[in-house]
Formats: sequence, structure tokens, C-alpha cells
Amino acid sequence: MTFQQAAEAHLDDVYGYLAWFTSDRFAAEDLTAVTFERALRLWHRFDPDRGSVRTWLCQVARTVALDHFRSERRRTRREELAAPPEAIDFRFAEGLSPDLESALARLTAGEREVVALRVLLDLDAGAAARILGISPTNCTTRLNRALKKLEEALHVAA
Amino acid sequence: MSQRDLVAELRAAHVEAPPEVRERVRLVAAGAPAPPRRITWRRALVVVVPVAAALAATIVFTRPAKQQQTVLEANKPARIQPSAGAATDRAAKAFAVPSPTNRVQKYEATLSLRVEHARDVSDGVKRALRIATSFGGYSSSVHAETHGSRAVADLTLRIPRTRIQEAMAKLAQLGTITDENVSTVDQTALLNNTDRKIARLQKQLAKLRAEPKSDGNDRSIAALVKRIETLQRGEATTRRNAHYATVHLHLETPPVTVAQKHGHGPLHGVGVALTWLGIGAVYALAIGVPVAVLLGIVWLCVRIVRRRRENALLQI
Repeated sequence: MTFQQAAEAHLDDVYGYLAWFTSDRFAAEDLTAVTFERALRLWHRFDPDRGSVRTWLCQVARTVALDHFRSERRRTRREELAAPPEAIDFRFAEGLSPDLESALARLTAGEREVVALRVLLDLDAGAAARILGISPTNCTTRLNRALKKLEEALHVAA
Repeated sequence: MSQRDLVAELRAAHVEAPPEVRERVRLVAAGAPAPPRRITWRRALVVVVPVAAALAATIVFTRPAKQQQTVLEANKPARIQPSAGAATDRAAKAFAVPSPTNRVQKYEATLSLRVEHARDVSDGVKRALRIATSFGGYSSSVHAETHGSRAVADLTLRIPRTRIQEAMAKLAQLGTITDENVSTVDQTALLNNTDRKIARLQKQLAKLRAEPKSDGNDRSIAALVKRIETLQRGEATTRRNAHYATVHLHLETPPVTVAQKHGHGPLHGVGVALTWLGIGAVYALAIGVPVAVLLGIVWLCVRIVRRRRENALLQI
């Protein structure tokens, strides 16, 4: 598989993962482009025997997103002294109920990440755990907690 | 809403990248170079095996065939093969001491040969005697003895000097030359002196005979005649001796070497190597294990700190 084919096949997955992870459409768009730029530089390191292209691209995307979070945290610390951050109106996906959208927004980035990987991208526990750098059991526990939190949020909203 | 319905609704959601992002990524991917060929172990084998075979073949076919034999026999003197013409040339060259036939010379040669087995010594003695006879010579002494696998023979051969070089070449073929020595002493001048002395004495004798007879004269004539005869006999002996060359031939089997026992078996070297390897391994373990443990602890600490920072970062 060439890099072009990989990019074409998994662009939506990477974008969706980053969009849910960051809950920021504009950031996700930029990070998606950065992810593929970085992936292009690292493409020679990709080993199909160690995992699928999608898993590898998600690992690159996660590194890019974590860098983004770090820089955002530094920026926020500086700027929130002058003005509080603005709330961004963001829709996670087409077809989700408003209650579910608001419940997803209440999740932390870590919880949204595991939901995106396991539910949105439908990765198995092993692949998701490899991206997150944790054990598959830990990954499943995180997913259950996130889903339970979502359920409770929906219950409260109802 | 149950958790199952929740998951079903989330899975039904569809996230699609905006066209501008798609275009950006397409531009990025367009700059991708052709995929590099991965070196798998199968591909590596395809290259490595023929290269190794070619190297092995080169080594095998370019090595000189007689290299091993040359190394083994490096410390041995060259054996002269009986049927080899080159060997004959070598022996002839080895004893190519000029022996002009118009001069009277005393020729002596010593030839020491080594043969493989005790029976070769016996055969060598017989062949040496035949060689001497075939050239018109004879043996003046033969001494041979055998003790088990060790045998020694000493021969003194008298061979006409005119054919000594041919005879030496043939004798040299009886075994491997271990020692050779040739000496010639020219006796022509000595014989010329004797001839002049005899002529002078004969003149004196003729003068005495021409004088009137007396008792004193007769005694002088008898003494001169006796002296002339002695000189002539000595000259004849010298000429006869110079006609034959003396060859001292020594044949022997190689000395039996008793293998020296050092108290070590054939695997002694392997044992020593393994011992040192073991010592090295113990040292490596003694130093390496604490270092490895320390590095492991550091790695774990770094990992824990990084994980905590990451978790804190994701609690947004």
C-alpha cells in the first residue's frame, strides 16, 4: 500500500478521531493535515507486520494531538489571565441527538479518545490499547467508564 | 437509553473530513516518494546465499591445490622421486662439482638419505650396490643394522670418477637427502713433482752406471733404483686411487618420536575457553544485572511520570 492510498483510505478515520479527541473542528482540521505531513516523514518506519496502517496513523495523530494539547495548555494559561476562553460550538458527528452531543462534550479528552477509537473507529481492544499505550484491559475499563458517564449524562438530561 | 443503544447511536454517527482538509492531505500525499523496498529476511536470503556461495566457491577454487602439502612438508627436505626427471636434474645439480678427466683428483662424497621404513633401508643397500656395480665400481664396506622400525646402513662405494655424477644422481633417488658433502683434491701437481723427481733420479742412476764399477758405486745404484721404484709405486697408487671416487652413503629411517604427554586431553583448549567464557559471563552478570535493573527503574519512573502528565493533560 502506498502512502497516497493509505491517506485516501483513512483520512476520515484520522479526522474523526482528532475531532472527537480535541472537540474542536478547526484544530482537528489543522491537526489532520499535520498528522499526514508527519506520517509522510515517518512512512519508512511503518511496519505492516506490527499493525495496520489505520492503527499507525492513529498513533501519529495521537502524538500530534498531545503536542497540540500541551501548547494549548501553555497558551491558555497565559491568555486566560487576560480574557476567559470562548466556548466553541462543535458538533461531533452528523446524526447524533443533541443530548448525546452535550453528553459527549462533558467527557474529558481522555474519555472521548477511547470512545472515538473503540466505538467510532470500531477498533478492537488490542489495537486501541496499542495507540493509547496501555493494556487492553485498561482500555476496556476506560471505555466502560466513559460509556457509563455518557449514560448518566443522558439519564440526567432525560 | 441503554448502553447498547448508546453505542449503536454512536456507531451510526458518521464523521467525514471537510473537502479543504481532504485537499490538503491529498497535496501532502502527492509529495510522497515511491515506497522503499523493505528488506525482509527472505529478500536478504536471496542476496546473502548466492553471495556466500560465490565467496566460498572463490576461496575453494582459487586456493592452490598443493598449499596444504607445501605447508606440511615445509620443514622436510625435498624428496627426490625415483621416476621424476626433475629429481635427477636436482641431484645432478647438487653434486655438480667439476671433475676434469685430464687431471688427477681425489674425489670424496658423503650422502645421507632418509627412507620411510626399515625395509626401504635394506632395499636401498641392495640398489646402491647394484648402482655401484653398474657404473663399474664396487663397495669397499657395507654396514647395516635394524632395531624394530629403526634401521641404519652405512656403505662406502668406489665408483669410477668419470661416472660419479651419474652415480650420485641415481643414489640420491634412494631416499630423501638429509645431508650431502663433496670434496675434491687435485693431485696432478703432486704427481708432476714425483715425475720430475724420478727423472732426476734416473739421470743420477745413468751417470753412476757410466762410472767404473766399485763397491760404493754399486751400493749407490741399488739405493737409487730402490728409491725410484718406491716413487713409481706411490705414483701408480695415487693414479689408481684417483681413478675411483669414494662415496660414503648413509641410509636411515626417521627417528621414532615419542609423543610428549602434557597431561591434557584433546578438548583441553575447549575447556579453557569455556572456563574463561564462564568467568566473563560471571563478571558481565555482576556488572550488567545491577546496571540493567537501574536502567529498568529509570525507564519505569520516566514512563510513570510521562503517563501521569499525559493523564493530567487529557482531563480537559
